[in-house]
Amino acid sequence: MNSDNIIIEAAELRKTFKVKNREGNLFAVKRYSQIEAVKDVSFSISKGDIVGFIGSNGAGKSTTIKMLTGILMPDSGSILINGMDYKKRRREIMMKIGVVFGQRSVLCWDIPVIESFRLFKDMYCIPNEIYNENMDMFTDILNLKEYIYKPPRLLSLGQRMKADLAAALLYNPEILFLDEPTIGIDVLAKDRIRDFIKRINQERCTSVVLTTHDVSDIEALCHKMLVIDRGSLLYDGTLNDMKEMFAVQYGDGRDKEEIELEHIIKQIYKGRFL
Amino acid sequence: MKKYIDYIRIGMKEHLVYPSAVCAKLFSKIIYLYLQFCIWSALFSSGSIKNLAINKTDTLRYIVVATIVSTVIECNIIEKINAQIQSGNIATELIRPIGFKRMLFSRHLGDTAIKIICCLLPLIGLVKASVSLQLLCIEQIGFGIISILLAYGIQFLYSIIIGLLAFWLIVTWPINMFLSAIYKLLSGVWIPVTMFPEILYRINLFLPFRAIYSIPVSVLTNSMKMNVIWQSIGVQIIWLVILYILMQFLWHEGRNKLVVQGG
Repeated sequence: MNSDNIIIEAAELRKTFKVKNREGNLFAVKRYSQIEAVKDVSFSISKGDIVGFIGSNGAGKSTTIKMLTGILMPDSGSILINGMDYKKRRREIMMKIGVVFGQRSVLCWDIPVIESFRLFKDMYCIPNEIYNENMDMFTDILNLKEYIYKPPRLLSLGQRMKADLAAALLYNPEILFLDEPTIGIDVLAKDRIRDFIKRINQERCTSVVLTTHDVSDIEALCHKMLVIDRGSLLYDGTLNDMKEMFAVQYGDGRDKEEIELEHIIKQIYKGRFL
Repeated sequence: MKKYIDYIRIGMKEHLVYPSAVCAKLFSKIIYLYLQFCIWSALFSSGSIKNLAINKTDTLRYIVVATIVSTVIECNIIEKINAQIQSGNIATELIRPIGFKRMLFSRHLGDTAIKIICCLLPLIGLVKASVSLQLLCIEQIGFGIISILLAYGIQFLYSIIIGLLAFWLIVTWPINMFLSAIYKLLSGVWIPVTMFPEILYRINLFLPFRAIYSIPVSVLTNSMKMNVIWQSIGVQIIWLVILYILMQFLWHEGRNKLVVQGG
């Protein structure tokens, strides 16, 4: 792997939250406990990779993604996006990354989607040609026409998700962060969204980091895997290697192709593998 | 720059999405104004108010102008920031290459523009048609407008500061309720501050509240000496600077405190 190609570099990330515990009745003494959401996580991601970031609920995925996107500040450790640091060059980085949260919308709730798009056009200084070209492409694949003149509050979850995805890619970001992009989406819409992500990745060499609980997302999209559990990184490598490792250890002679990914992930979460 | 103009437009559109809310707002202002007018007229005619520094006409002028000005100065971003921090949706704003506070201000400007058109102008028309008092001090109207603009800024900064406390408290409505009671009393939006007892008046001199309503409304309605006007505007500018510094400080501290909740 060529080190010039590294687009995200995270080193020894650490984030602790202070949590208030109040056990028993309302007047019980408050106790504070520290929860180490992420501890000493280091990895790097190269240009053009699609990286699946998995872990059980509360493993620290979302916290890591939020640090990578500059929303949360790590307690210690460093993040370099294209060699740039959030502390010094925040805006420049923001121009280069797109973020989609499956559970939140970035679009203005009450006004038509197209207005939000126009806002992004000015915000990211998108030239007219690129804007029009992207709009054409998104209209083609994501059926934007059907719902672009409606406000997000009137859209179905699938439509809203597609609109959010289009909004995040409007300015040709170099990295796309997807936090559970297919949560609550029907099978057909899922397929479209996956095809779209794949196409963007191939045509524009956009790096994609995605967290998901949907195994089929990973199988359809990811070359690389990051597995996190209780705040620590368990695995950083290709999906293929992980399957092979599992086949060697627990395969009972089965070939790696015969073992379902879901089974492997279950074993990881149960603490039996990795 | 253009992106902030877009946000002004979005602020306007967001306000207009629910036309019934805009109408309700206007009606509530009209009723409130009528109520204030009746209460103060009744108080003065009953003769229960004596030995005050301010007479009936001045009080009525003050109250009417304060209510009209409040349509412009009012700022509802406390709840907006609160809701965003509480739900974690602030994350969707923090990933943008823009200044969060400037974005809020632009939206607020758009919001205000609509309030001026849909609330302020009709209210002024109505008052002109129904109240025969000479409300404004015409010679000081220029200073009055400058003072309103400063008050607008102070109100915005005050709101953003209370809103940002959510970084620490997560839920700020209790403190907000407490402060809004103080605010309503001391800012002079309900009662002219010249009516306060000495001690309250003195305490108020050291608080920002009177810079929001009392000062601009006084400049608009009372004929004052030049140096008093400048002094009033000076006080506003000082508060604007103090609150600005406080807001920047809270923002930088709060950003490190942020816990994006819910997934």
